[in-house]
Amino acid sequence: MRSFHVRSKIVNGVAVLYLKGHLDAHQVARFEKEIVRMIKDRTFKILINGQDLNYITSAGMGIIMGYIDEVREKGGDIKLCSLNERVHETFDLVGFTKMYDFVASEQAAIEKFNRFPSQS
Amino acid sequence: MKNSTAFLPNPDFSITILSQTQLLKMVVELTRHITTLSNFPLADAQKISLAIDEAVTNVIKHSYNNVSDREIRLDYFLGNSGIRIRIFYRGRQPDISDEEVNIKNMIKSKKKGGLGVKLMRTIMDSVTYSTEDGQHCCEMIKWRQAK
Repeated sequence: MRSFHVRSKIVNGVAVLYLKGHLDAHQVARFEKEIVRMIKDRTFKILINGQDLNYITSAGMGIIMGYIDEVREKGGDIKLCSLNERVHETFDLVGFTKMYDFVASEQAAIEKFNRFPSQS
Repeated sequence: MKNSTAFLPNPDFSITILSQTQLLKMVVELTRHITTLSNFPLADAQKISLAIDEAVTNVIKHSYNNVSDREIRLDYFLGNSGIRIRIFYRGRQPDISDEEVNIKNMIKSKKKGGLGVKLMRTIMDSVTYSTEDGQHCCEMIKWRQAK
């Protein structure tokens, strides 16, 4: 049984990735594959919805770190929303909360993307 | 008593696993359980288990280059003032720098790795690496009421 799931859909021009479960070094390849597929499809407004994500390690955070600059250079961004307290704290431990855009809800994040289309 | 004498010489619990990332979740759950039994609050236990996940991941990826049949031994020492976890392995010693990780530079260089050691050092009160007779050891300590 897989302990990590990723699915995606386009909402108002924003690619939303729904992460669920336990994202560690064993599972990270499927997360990276989705991010790479979006960039190849020239989708640069990427929202990671972590509502059902209950664990993340540096492997998962490293994927965001590895691609965010490229996405921002193309006028987009990788934003994160709906993280639970524990996962948010993990991002905070490495200082990501100061550099990336963490938004409370999916709707607010999508509105933010579309209000400032080229804001990073 | 917050020094090496805070722990007994023999581990309270020891487990040897193969160098397979599919076993990481088990290590995390085991560490969380042991740490909770050692009377750490759940929030601390979760962070300590994350630090152990990062350390074991580094061993699998960098020391054993993802070869899946190597051994990694984890010894847990439970003391009144904290917990000490020692991870024993062979292979290549990970390139562990004491330098502060600069996240901005890592983003600019599109690096995907290097965050694990920062997490380990942020969570734990002490992280030390040593080698004796070809066997490496990553020792991590978390004291109660520290940090």
